[in-house]
Amino acid sequence: MECKFVPSVCSYCGTGCGILFQVVDGRLIGTLPMKTHPVNQGKLCIKGWNLHEHINSELRLKNPLIKTFGRFSRVNWDTAIRYTADRLQKIIKKHGPDSVGVLVSAKATNEENYLAQKFARAVIGTNNVDHCARL
Amino acid sequence: MQDTVKTWLTEGTVDIFLGYKMVEGHPIPHGFSRNCLDEIDEMVTGPARYSLEKFATQLLQIHPEAKIGILARDCTQRALNVLTIWQQISPGQIKTLQVNCCPSPLGSNTDCSYLQPAETGTYKAAHGVDGSQSLQTLEQMPEEERFDRWMYEFQKCIKCYGCRNVCPMCFCRECSLENKDLVGNGHLPPDIPIFHLVRAVHMAGRCIDCGLCEEACPAEIPLRMLYRKINDMMGTLFDYHTGSSPDQSPFSLLGDKPSSGLPPMTAELSKNK
Amino acid sequence: MTNSYDDLEGAGCIFVIGSNTTACHPLIARRIYKAKERGAKLIVADPRGIQLSHMANVSVNHRMGSDVALLNGMMHVICKNGWQAADYINSRTENAEALFAVLDAYTPERVQAITGVKAGDIELMAETYAQNSPAALLYAMGITQHTTGVDNVKSCCNLAMLCGNVGVAGGGVNPLRGQNNVQGACDMGGLPNVFTGYQPVSDADANAKFSEAWGRPLPDKPGLTISDMVPAMLDGKIKALYVIGENPKLSDPDWNHFNHALNNLELLVAQDLFLSETAQVADVVFPAASVAEKNGTFTNSERRCARINKAIEPVGNALADWRIISRLATAMDYPMNYGSAGEIFEEMRALTPKSYAGMTYERLGINGLQWPCPDTEHPGTPYLHSEQFARGKGKFHAIEYQDPAEMPDADYPYFLTTGRVFAHYHTGTMTRVSKHLDHEAPFGYVDINPLDARNIKVGEGDPVVLSSRRGEMEVAVRLNEKLPPGSLFLPIHFGESAANLLTSSEALDPLAKIPEFKVSAVQVCRAS
Repeated sequence: MECKFVPSVCSYCGTGCGILFQVVDGRLIGTLPMKTHPVNQGKLCIKGWNLHEHINSELRLKNPLIKTFGRFSRVNWDTAIRYTADRLQKIIKKHGPDSVGVLVSAKATNEENYLAQKFARAVIGTNNVDHCARL
Repeated sequence: MQDTVKTWLTEGTVDIFLGYKMVEGHPIPHGFSRNCLDEIDEMVTGPARYSLEKFATQLLQIHPEAKIGILARDCTQRALNVLTIWQQISPGQIKTLQVNCCPSPLGSNTDCSYLQPAETGTYKAAHGVDGSQSLQTLEQMPEEERFDRWMYEFQKCIKCYGCRNVCPMCFCRECSLENKDLVGNGHLPPDIPIFHLVRAVHMAGRCIDCGLCEEACPAEIPLRMLYRKINDMMGTLFDYHTGSSPDQSPFSLLGDKPSSGLPPMTAELSKNK
Repeated sequence: MTNSYDDLEGAGCIFVIGSNTTACHPLIARRIYKAKERGAKLIVADPRGIQLSHMANVSVNHRMGSDVALLNGMMHVICKNGWQAADYINSRTENAEALFAVLDAYTPERVQAITGVKAGDIELMAETYAQNSPAALLYAMGITQHTTGVDNVKSCCNLAMLCGNVGVAGGGVNPLRGQNNVQGACDMGGLPNVFTGYQPVSDADANAKFSEAWGRPLPDKPGLTISDMVPAMLDGKIKALYVIGENPKLSDPDWNHFNHALNNLELLVAQDLFLSETAQVADVVFPAASVAEKNGTFTNSERRCARINKAIEPVGNALADWRIISRLATAMDYPMNYGSAGEIFEEMRALTPKSYAGMTYERLGINGLQWPCPDTEHPGTPYLHSEQFARGKGKFHAIEYQDPAEMPDADYPYFLTTGRVFAHYHTGTMTRVSKHLDHEAPFGYVDINPLDARNIKVGEGDPVVLSSRRGEMEVAVRLNEKLPPGSLFLPIHFGESAANLLTSSEALDPLAKIPEFKVSAVQVCRAS
């Protein structure tokens, strides 16, 4: 029997409230406000209190998908990555790196955003990188 | 304390012990287990308080046979009493390690370091309800003024449901606060004052005055005062003292025979048929 | 935010404009409550009546898009009464004369005519803001999502500097960030013109530094913003789009227009937790790990970078975004072999000297650190511009009021604004699958004043047809007497009644390219 509380930060709005993920036997069963956190001081809003619900949703994507003839089919990672890399490389070769755009995410981590813009600039070779901060 | 917990775990008195450990300067609740006895050296008692008894109830839903140890303050003990009455836990299933501290009229100790009421600001003192006052002081105000002050407090509500979510006594599968016939959905503030009164009514015979709800309230509504009023009525009207023992059930309040001259409820029902 | 949440509690006055704080940033609203109850004054300006309006010392409903006029009007009154911070203006700012020259014409009476706010209220707002220092100004998308978004922000800064409120504890100009890591995405160079820490791609030194670090020559011409990518997609200049954790199909200003653009692509790759509206039309979909399933850091509105910690394993075969990007880069002959998020953070901070260099995972701990944090001894920065402005002197901008791109007319007589509701978030992909959040708002609706509802003969829950020059939709009515007659409010979370069917992709701020989500002209009538 395992019961632990993992400190983290709420991923809804930009306030950045300190939370605890309540984990029992490797399953996420709840979200709590961290009492001693400098941002939210032990309180949360309705979204924060229910943060775990979207993570546990049945609708989560669990496998890479590739669309052929208008229908998605499940594939493994190697296939999905190879397929995407090939198609991107072909487009870059034919139309140049500025024919690709990358939208990074205001919901992903700093590390991931850093890597995404590095991917756009160094791997693809374009500065066409933006995110939905304006939207 | 650490030694006791280690002994309990190694001897199988409990399967898991709910307490706190320090993580990067923050006390974080944690389930200590037999597999990681070393962790117990990091166990602390404060300086924050989480609803350990609620975690225990949740664990029992997943592991109904588990034996759980728990770091218990006075309010935790009261909570366990009420949870036993409402058949959420079985007596003996939860073993407590007592840490005394309690400022509640329901408790015997008065050294709780958690509930130092924040200094009441000038605007709140003039328009709201000062949670550091006694219930008696508040009740000396004219009824209209009290009503206005409570309405001020309620209109700050951001409907986080934190009061319910944190409450060790809120174990219902369906919550009246989410019954659209009682409380409208989708509005801020939630229906005033219905949202808070619905919750207050449901606290009768439940609230053990632990104050976790007030601690969790982003709007600093003095919820503890509100539910103390309910407890006060329970005491005055029914001589019922919530949480004082695991034996006194609200179902036995009326005694064997109804005494107030009301016809038995069964008669009332059969007449309606 | 120039300042911190803790700071708000020490403010003498808090001025909230264009932010429905209790619904969208509830835990910041808590700080406003606390300041107010301690005795601070509260000013709330919003085209709608919001929850905070009830607590305000001065509450006004200015006409949608009239923010510059309102702020200029306040400044006019402040200058006329000599309430401005003269010493501060002399020593720390420049270009004040140009501002003063513009302000002359914004008499309370003229501003009343533009904004609909009574002249007396404008005077009261000005007095309350100027006479209760330090005053903190808070805003959100209600200020920025306009064709005059940059003007609005500059006007906020003008007001704050005029009263000496920038660079002081308890004051500041404080935009509230709508998404958990908008601040971080910008800081990390998720923009077409800058690398991390806002180092310009066109700056030769910065470009050389990053080119060397990343082992490839990097392009030095700024790229396209999302608002410019859409026409480029339509023109066939952009052939492939890689969308990470966004749902632009619902968040882009014009659904139909954006749909055409997506159809024009050869390749659309979406990476998400869910099969969002955008992922549904993608060619490839990568399943991403959620916040509980990975390590990393987020940077919040007060520039606080804090760690998130993995609590559970990712569901199914989902992977953390950084692992997916690494694999894709490696497959495209640019090996990325990071073993952990921490390694990426170390690489990033070494390249970001002014703001993130002093942060390490160990130092961040649970509390995090607020940038700028230039070295590992630096304690972080609770408020910016304390001794001088980043650019030296604070510059006033003389700004004239302009109408929104679209004003109501005979064909489209109603003002429409869009925004969030308290239980949902952005395009709803995360919140609509959550039982307790869905309970609060299961479907889209349009808020309408009961008087307007009576005129078009509809009641609570009745369907109406909303139409604009872009498109039309059917949606249920919710009566809201706090909304001024002639105005409508449409939440943005609901794909089946998508607000961007009505909003315009052409009404953009010329500089920031932000769409005018907050003002459109629409017609509303009973659905037949």
